[in-house]
Amino acid sequence: MSHREYLESVLETIRLSKLNAYITLDHEGVRQQAEQVDAGERDGRLAGVPVAVKDAISTKGLRTTCASRMLEHYVPPFDAFVVTRLKEEGAVIVGKTNMDEFSMGTSTETSYFGPTRNPSDLNRVPGGSSGGSAAAVAACEADLALGSDTGGSIRCPASFCGVVGLKPTYGRVSRSGLVAYGNSLEQIGPIARTVAECALLFEVIAGHDPLDSTSAKLPAPQCTSSLDDHLSGTKIGVPKELFGEGVDPIVEAATWKALHTLDDLGASADVISLASLKRALSAYYVLAMSEASSNLARYSGIVYGYRADRDQNWHTTFSEDRAVGFGKEVKRRILLGTYALSAGYYDKYYSKALGARALIQRDFMKAFKTYDALIAPTMPHTAFRIGEKIEDPLALYQVDINTVPVNLANIPALSLPCGRKGKLPIGVQIIGDKFSEAKLLNVAHQLEQNLS
Amino acid sequence: MITKADVERVANLACIELNDKELQEFTLQLGAILEYFDELSDIEAQPPKKEEENVLRPDEVTTSLPQKEALANAPRVDSGYFRGPRIL
Repeated sequence: MSHREYLESVLETIRLSKLNAYITLDHEGVRQQAEQVDAGERDGRLAGVPVAVKDAISTKGLRTTCASRMLEHYVPPFDAFVVTRLKEEGAVIVGKTNMDEFSMGTSTETSYFGPTRNPSDLNRVPGGSSGGSAAAVAACEADLALGSDTGGSIRCPASFCGVVGLKPTYGRVSRSGLVAYGNSLEQIGPIARTVAECALLFEVIAGHDPLDSTSAKLPAPQCTSSLDDHLSGTKIGVPKELFGEGVDPIVEAATWKALHTLDDLGASADVISLASLKRALSAYYVLAMSEASSNLARYSGIVYGYRADRDQNWHTTFSEDRAVGFGKEVKRRILLGTYALSAGYYDKYYSKALGARALIQRDFMKAFKTYDALIAPTMPHTAFRIGEKIEDPLALYQVDINTVPVNLANIPALSLPCGRKGKLPIGVQIIGDKFSEAKLLNVAHQLEQNLS
Repeated sequence: MITKADVERVANLACIELNDKELQEFTLQLGAILEYFDELSDIEAQPPKKEEENVLRPDEVTTSLPQKEALANAPRVDSGYFRGPRIL
């Protein structure tokens, strides 16, 4: 089969799909690029591979909406660093995937373009915010995808859709060209059907970029070569705080099954306590919302973005256009963030959240002096029904309890399928020390090969 | 407890107009969420004083976005400029 034929078959799968995984498809670009690969004019480690890109990541000439009415017609004049890397390796960008509006959500239900559905059960959410990316990969509407993870937005949908998703160490992958939501927390990362493919995509996108001043000045990581390393002597910590009340017993049992498999492979596991994690959720949301309120101040409808054609003064114009351009969850987070940063409340919320973040970082650092990796459920339960939680924002935030600590600590973590509850996938989360992605992928690959 | 007046004040600061229904709904929801955040109140740890290093680059002239491309996404353009709302 030629690349052109293969990519046509992927486009046909998307055409027949009920998932709503994509916001924008690039039919023309796909055909053109596929022909270039067939003609030998495009090569690289991802030559002809269909890749889906989350709609928060800028693609030159291809609409990038962040699933918001605010950016419904926005076409970036440049490629994000990671998109340039994909193109350099010959990847074919199929289109832009659905997500929660401005990445704010855990279910892909807050998208202006309607929810994405879970490939395992069309009545359930795919997780979020990178729900379109995970659903597309799970349903073979792309072979690989990029997501972004501010508080779990790669790992959550990977877990709910039964695919592999990696949130890299903060600074490992350039954020240049990623539409900002919570700058101190977020990273772009790979989503794939296997650990080996996830490792390959990670190698392609990682590395230093002078356009992101938080990008680490480290050589590009080598991960694919160490996937088969033996795990004998590997020490695993099991933080009991991530096995709390809300964790479904079936999810917990699947996580322990993964731990027993690692034990059979020569690793050893201890239950440990990281007491600071109890307040991670509050600390995360205070910081993420505060950063969001500042970042989203840029949407004024002058240089780009939604603007109604009325002739009012600037304050009324901005306030009316932002009221129409932003959805409910985005407004909620901007309002809460503005409140947390406003005079009289900064010390009560923002400053306390930074203190809690410091304690969480310290606890993780201490754990990684002894352990090579930590293991816990990615999500406390399997995918919930569309509409089940959307009217109760706090209940929806609480679903992120096991993923947000990782972002606060700027460390890497990966979600790997480890079983099912009925037809719904369960994910196990493997958390590592800063810049230990190669080790995480090695543990994940061994687990993937040996989990029955 | 956060009041309607607080939410109105914050919405004004954030430049987001709210209708009465939204104001009512957000006041309740924000109240519940802020109550949850109160668990942070007994944190005594101070945020660490970070010794961040300045990241500098050589000040070199490179090509910038051509005017036409820079204006391409603007909702209102006038004689090669972005057209903003009036000030008063």
